[in-house]
This record gives sequence, structure tokens and C-alpha cells, in this order.
Amino acid sequence: MSTTAQPNRQQPSPTPPRPPAAPSPGRAERGISARFFGASAMSFPTWAYVLFFFVIPVALVVFYSFGYKPDEFTAIATDRLSFDRYPEAMTTSFVTTFFATLRISILGTILCLLIALPFAYWLAIKVSPARRSLALALVMVPFWTNFLVRTLGWQIMLSPDGFLSNWMQALGLLDGPLDILYTRSAVQIGVVYNYLPLMILPLFVAIDASGKKLREASYDLGAGKVKTFMRVTLPMAMPGVVSGCLLVFIPLNGDYVTATVLGGASGSMVGQLIANQFNTAQNWAVGAAMAMILIISTLVVVGVGFALLKLGQTITARLNSVPLMDGRA
Amino acid sequence: MPKKNTFARRTPTDIALHVWGIIVFIYLFVPIAVIIAYSFNNGKVLANFRGFGLHAYISGINNDIIISSIVTSLQAAVGAAIVSTVFGTLGGVALARAPKGAWWALGLTAILGLTLVTPEIVDGISFLPWFVTVGVDWGITPLNNGLVRLIISHAMFSMAIVTFIVRARLAGIDTQLEDAAADLGATPWHRFRDITLPIAAPGILAGALMSFTVSLDNTILSSFVQQPGYTPWPVYIFSAVRVALRPEVAAMSTVMFFLTLAALGFVGFVLRKAGGNATEIIKTMAG
Repeated sequence: MSTTAQPNRQQPSPTPPRPPAAPSPGRAERGISARFFGASAMSFPTWAYVLFFFVIPVALVVFYSFGYKPDEFTAIATDRLSFDRYPEAMTTSFVTTFFATLRISILGTILCLLIALPFAYWLAIKVSPARRSLALALVMVPFWTNFLVRTLGWQIMLSPDGFLSNWMQALGLLDGPLDILYTRSAVQIGVVYNYLPLMILPLFVAIDASGKKLREASYDLGAGKVKTFMRVTLPMAMPGVVSGCLLVFIPLNGDYVTATVLGGASGSMVGQLIANQFNTAQNWAVGAAMAMILIISTLVVVGVGFALLKLGQTITARLNSVPLMDGRA
Repeated sequence: MPKKNTFARRTPTDIALHVWGIIVFIYLFVPIAVIIAYSFNNGKVLANFRGFGLHAYISGINNDIIISSIVTSLQAAVGAAIVSTVFGTLGGVALARAPKGAWWALGLTAILGLTLVTPEIVDGISFLPWFVTVGVDWGITPLNNGLVRLIISHAMFSMAIVTFIVRARLAGIDTQLEDAAADLGATPWHRFRDITLPIAAPGILAGALMSFTVSLDNTILSSFVQQPGYTPWPVYIFSAVRVALRPEVAAMSTVMFFLTLAALGFVGFVLRKAGGNATEIIKTMAG
């Protein structure tokens, strides 16, 4: 989370800046690696842990996706390897669920961004510094509550005989009971809600880092509010937009808990299908192949997102260069 | 007087932004308020409010299955926080002090970055067969314990968070202090304990806290690695969702909610004493 949320801190080289008057660069170089009981030796436990509990197990799953299910009582066999499980995984119901999941995740990410951008802007710029700490702490509170429990809150609220439904009927806003629980819309509301803080925080950090001075400079140079937002604040907030979208989209695409609570049978997500292959059907090869499809598609969407972003930036840069020339002329 | 001026300068955009901010806050808090309100439901089914009272709290506390799942969750969260903090601190310090372009530092950063973008379900399905291979087939019996499995997998899940927070904390700080200590004859261990650790402390604490809460929240990964007798609280709730939800779930969640708030308030207080304003603290926690 830390890297993605603060790309500007990620960039500087791992070696901290050294004072210009260092007696001899060679000594300092040795000082950092050798003196620190060897930073490389220090990283060894972490290396060992991630190799043993992440790299090897995940590599095994990749390997399993080329295996097969030999008989009813065995989950996996890998004596014959093939790509056959991939087409086998892509049944009609899987493909339907896959695109439904993708739609919910992409729409969810966009909605989170649309809700969070004005909110983070407000928090970073319009709220007085004295109240900002409190406001930020309040944003964090739902983040620290169990997300399953928060989702149950929505389940209660959206239920047809719940208080919201009754109130809306009493006020004449609805003719019949609220008919939204166990539909795609309920899932959409739930995921946007659950992942919203993950979008707000990196956006806030980025907008906050953009600083008041730059905006004031922009006003002093005669730019209006809209122009300042489009040319100063928004470009400065872009790292936050990128990391926020990643933080929301990636976990959301593999999530199925929210969808199960709010969507019931119609809220089936890819994650659920993968889990079923491992827990119920005991067909690890097909389950692993589905997981690979999920990972690859996640990466493809992220890649396309980045490409669109680059394209957008190029176009805005071209468009922006014209009025700037006019202004100077 | 200055306050009045700010009000006078408020444009329609400002007002719209304020209204939006308040709406988003309401959106964020309504479901939590609903859960707290329904925890006082005396009925049998969570969603059907049948009279106000503390029945759910009493029967929740007396329900052995619920209490044992909460205890399992807390144990796993403490264990995962300790394991990921120890490994993550070592990793974070090593990365912050790595020579530029060292292969082991780039590799570790890449793998930890990968763990962040791996969907939780994939972690779940990779741990399941792996624990069976290592614990049962290779005979490393501690790995057959349900709590150990939860701790190891949860710690893996938050390892990257702790490492990157600690690295970010140290990245902005010069090595001069450490070099000075070395020149004055401090042993590597003393230098680490007396100089590096205190500097990194706020990052370490924030990382431990993140790890603790991430572990408490974990549902999908836990549902794969859990074993009979070691069902964590979110997995218990998730299985209850499919059968029938009783108000006890809301009552116990409310208790945990306020305990978490108290713990957070305490950590915030400690961090504040250590210096730094609340915005900085939250930024550290948020990474």
C-alpha cells in the first residue's frame, strides 16, 4: 500500500543523499553496505519468507493450471501437462460471470474516483487545517471496521422490509417495498462503499502534497479557478489518481464477499467460481486456470488504463499548449 | 473577524464542495450506525427489529463459538502483526540502506510489489495446497496448527505494507547518525538498536497497526487456510450470512468496533507524543 500511495517517495534512489563534503566516497559506500551488518544480509529473512510463503506457493498454482483432475477423489495430477484446462475453464457461465465481474470492478473504480475526487479536494484544500485532522481520522474509521460487518449494514438497509424501505414508502417515494437487495445494483453500491476510503486517502495525500503555493502562484499569474484546477491541481493529483485506482480495482476484481452478502445468487463473481473449484468441485487444475485468467485480465485492464491515461495526457498537453501561447502573445 | 471573511468569500463551488463532503461522510457512516443500532435488537433475526434491549450482547458473550472465533481472530492478528513487523522491519531497513541498484533490493521490492497486486483469492488457493505439502507431506508439524497457518498467511499478506512503510520512514533520513555511531565505536547491534530502530519506530508502529487490522479484516484468505477449531471471526460471520444472521453478530461487532477505536486512539496518542501532527500520522498509516 505504501509504495502505490506515495509514488513520489518511491522514486528517490534507495541510497539516502550523502553530504557533499563526505571525506571519501569509497568509504561512505562501504559504510552503508558493510557497516550495516550488511544490508543484504539483513534482507535475508524477508527474502526467505516471501520465497517460501509467496513465490513458491503461487508458482505451484501456475504449475497446477497445466495439470488435470485424474479421478473423482484426487484434486490434482501433474504427470501430463497441457493448456487444456484454460479452454475448459471458459465455460459459458464463467465467461458471463467474468464480464459481469469486470463491469462491476471497472464501474466501481470509476464511481469511487468520481465520489472521492471532489471529496479529497475539499478535505485537502477547503477544510481548515485545524479540522482536517479530525476529518481525516473520521475517513479512516470505516476503514478500520470489519468490511464484512459494514456490508451487513447495507444488507439491513437495503432489505425490502428494512427501515429505509418503510420510510421511503411512507414518504411516498416508493410504491412497493425497496427492490434492490440481491441485485447487481446492490453489489455496486456495496463495493463502491467498501473501497471508497482506499481511493480517498491516496488522492488526499497527492492533492495535499501539491501545495497551496503552486495554486497561489497560478492565481497570481492570472489563471482562473477552473484553469488552476485543470492545469495545476489535477496534474499534481495524478499519482494519487493512479494509485487510488490500482488500490481499488485490483482487490475489487478478486473480491466475492461483498457480492455474496448483497448480491446473493445474482452477485456471483469470478473469485467465487475459483473458490468453488477448490472447495466444492475439488478440481484444482481448472480452479488454477481460472485464477490465471483473473490475474492476466486484471493486468490487461491495468495496462489499458495506463495507456488511456498516457493518451489523455498527450491530448491535454497539445490542447493546453494553444491557449498558453495566446495568453503570452 | 477573519472567520467572517472566509465565509464572505465562499463561492457556490465552495458550498457545493462542503455539501458533497458532508454527504460522503454520511455515506461512510450510515452502515456503521445501522449495525450499532441493530445490535440492540432483541429479536431473533438481525434485520428484523423486534424491541430494544441488550439480549444480543448477553447471548453473544455467552456463546462459546462466537467468543472462540473472536479470540482466534485476535490471536491471529497479534501474531501476524508481530511476525510481519519483525520481518517487515528488517526488510524495510535493508531496502532503505541498500546500495543503489543492488539486485537483492530490486528483487525484493518487485516481489513485495507483486504480493500487493495479487488478488486475495490467489493467495488463498496457493496457501491451501502448500500448507498440506509442507505440513503433512514433509512432516513440518507446526504448520498443521490452524493458528500458525492463519498467522503465517496473514503476515505474508501484510509483509509488503510494513516493509514499505518502514522503508519510506527511513528513506528521508540521512545515514550520518549511523555512520557517526560507527565511528564512535558502536557495534552493529548497538547501532541498530540505539539509532536505527528509534528513528524507524513511528513507521514500525504504524506498520504493526496496519498489519493487525488487515488481519482482523481478512475473510477470503482465512476461509482457505482455516482449520476446524480455528475459525476466525470474519469467516464465522461469512458462514452465518449464508444461513441466518442473528443480532449477536452486530453486538459483538459493535464491541470490537469500540475496542478498535480505543486502540487507535491510544496509538495516535503515542505517535503524537513522539512528535508529529495527526495529519502526518494518518499519512504514515495510510502509507
